[in-house]
Amino acid sequence: MKPPKERGKPIAPPCQITRIRFSPNGKELAASCVDGIVRRWSVSDAKPLPEWKGHNGWVTTLSYLSNGDLLTTDSWGKLVCWKDEKPRWSIAAHEGWLRAVAIAKDRIATCGRDGFVREWSTDGKKRFETKLGIDFYSLAYSPAGALVVGDLFGRMHVLDSSLKTTREFEQKEFHLLDRIQDVGGVRCLAFSLDGKTLYAAGCQPKTGGFVQAFPLLVALDFATGKALWSWKGANDAEGIVHDLRVFADGRLAAVTSGQPGQGKFLLFEPPTATPAFVSTKLPNCHSLDIHPDGKLIAVSGTNANSSGNGRVKGKAGEYPENQSPIQFWDAE
Amino acid sequence: MRHTHCTPADHRFSRRAFFGAAALGGLATPAFAEALRKERRQVLFVWLDGGISQLESWDPKPNTIFGGPFRAIPTSVPGIHVSELLPETARQMHRLAIVRSVSTQDNSHSAGVDRIQRGDPKNRGVVYPYLGSAMARWLGPGTSGLPPYIWVKPMNGGFIYKDAGFLGPKYGALALGDGKPPENLLRPADLSADDDAERNELRELADKRYAEKRKADTTEANSYAFAMAAQLQKRVELFDLSKLPEKDRDRYGSHDLGRHLLLARRLLEEGVTFVKVTSYGWDTHGDNFNGHASLVPKFDKPFAAMIQDLADRGMLDNVLVIAMSEFGRTPRINGHLGRDHWPEAWSVCMGGRGIKPGVVAGKTNEKGTDVATEPHDIGHLFHTWFRALGVDPEKQKYYNATQPLPIAHEEMHAVTEVLA
Repeated sequence: MKPPKERGKPIAPPCQITRIRFSPNGKELAASCVDGIVRRWSVSDAKPLPEWKGHNGWVTTLSYLSNGDLLTTDSWGKLVCWKDEKPRWSIAAHEGWLRAVAIAKDRIATCGRDGFVREWSTDGKKRFETKLGIDFYSLAYSPAGALVVGDLFGRMHVLDSSLKTTREFEQKEFHLLDRIQDVGGVRCLAFSLDGKTLYAAGCQPKTGGFVQAFPLLVALDFATGKALWSWKGANDAEGIVHDLRVFADGRLAAVTSGQPGQGKFLLFEPPTATPAFVSTKLPNCHSLDIHPDGKLIAVSGTNANSSGNGRVKGKAGEYPENQSPIQFWDAE
Repeated sequence: MRHTHCTPADHRFSRRAFFGAAALGGLATPAFAEALRKERRQVLFVWLDGGISQLESWDPKPNTIFGGPFRAIPTSVPGIHVSELLPETARQMHRLAIVRSVSTQDNSHSAGVDRIQRGDPKNRGVVYPYLGSAMARWLGPGTSGLPPYIWVKPMNGGFIYKDAGFLGPKYGALALGDGKPPENLLRPADLSADDDAERNELRELADKRYAEKRKADTTEANSYAFAMAAQLQKRVELFDLSKLPEKDRDRYGSHDLGRHLLLARRLLEEGVTFVKVTSYGWDTHGDNFNGHASLVPKFDKPFAAMIQDLADRGMLDNVLVIAMSEFGRTPRINGHLGRDHWPEAWSVCMGGRGIKPGVVAGKTNEKGTDVATEPHDIGHLFHTWFRALGVDPEKQKYYNATQPLPIAHEEMHAVTEVLA
């Protein structure tokens, strides 16, 4: 594999970003932001497109439907479907933090801190729901349509088409009870193209509070739940895998964020557990996406010097906000 | 010369009440016990070590750039909102007060914990006592027969005399590691009571000889630790939470903080003057929001249960309740999705004895980056707590040998908005 190369300077959004995704036609890149705004850019020239407002708290994640409609979610539980610059529909999907969204052909799944997993039709009608009473972090549909939801305790629940649990996998490394804090969780889930391998990622926590943790990626045989291979970061300052994407050729891309200044953009060629490419240029990465043509990758990180006790001051003496620069990479 | 530690006035109530009641033959009556209970002045001090985020607890700023993902929820007091992570405490707001204008001096744990718990007075070349030791000094041991300053904490316990500063070791803390009594507290089964008494006599004699050639403070700590152990030997049943109704254990939770707060309730019921409960692990430099989503509910439930229980038992008239950390957390969210140390503008929750219920004092600006009203340092809070407990910082002084010392920072004053 040829290592990817940075393309130009990063886009500089004015705030921090939780998730980035390319549109299915590859013309736009959208970002969910902590100021409640959905920001978009034209991929060809990196120019900003009109912002979308109407969310509360953080816009927590986003995902495009195959028809180009964009689903966005927020930390107050709202799920919005945007079409032609306007909300096509908007629903109160969960009570509080909506953690993840996954899309199948004609179905949308969501999960939240409220312990519910819900499935919706693409016009926003509720199909099924199940309450497992656990804080969920991640969701993925298998190519065959099975839904997997990852929780705080390192468990992956396989749900059938009516959201009944059929199987459960557990990777205890993803969770630690440190004093009174439950730390870790399955933060990301993705399937291999043939649906035979389930990739689960997050961290192996060492402590709560400060959260020292080794980033962790585990490839599981979806049929048996057995671990096939895994990658763990070299030290406990490297933190958490925050996003995970699968290329059309089966490669994997992941980003990590650890102690301020620590973060990686990684490429894997499964089943090789050692990363084929690692970049530490952009610190504290929280999301990435692969362009539909497979030749472009976008990675969102964090500005330098993002931390500090007490009243840190910006260049003009102001109390600064942090930002999430987005770097494009050319890949082959 | 004034005595270093206490004056006859400090014992006035207990001596008069005791002998008066005894003379009337009323010592053993429920009425007398109730009268004594009503005269108690006690403190529950909940210390969330590392720094709870004010934005994820007492001073939420939803829908602002630094506000984080959580919502604010209404409380039992119209107009007052707290973080959605505190639903149970929100229902107790009519019994609590929040100071949202706390602005202190230290942004490091090592200096911050000490300065905050000692009240950060002006430097006079002496080490001031921690709040617990100060209250043990001013409120006395009460009638419990237990040490006046008990610290319930995870991990190790022991006798923590350094908390007492210049007051001297007998005002130190007895720390109950993991809420358990000190190890080897009970007399071994193969040692008879007579033999034990003989050994203690021998020890006391040795202590006396040792003390003759040394400073009193050095030996006093040792003797006091033995005296405390003897007191605790008689009350070991206090530590057996398994005998409490299961409902209570469910309400407080099975985790450390829940169990320790439940033990604190028992100690307060027994009349212990100052009970500190510490929870470690609140220093959320990374993954702050998931961290607080896990941590705060484990504070919220037992804390609210405690407030309800103290109210049900009529004890909020006696017990001053304080919940705080050494500082708050930065509004700015760092690259590890954490919040760093922030002494500039944070919050403290209190309630009970001497505190006006259902109020908020002070406020921060829209983004939570500055105190927008009069800032209040820890010295202001010490004034507030002393006043709430009927100790007047304008009139009372410590005496370090012959050196008079103010009991709280003399250039500060009480936060009157939260005083009843």
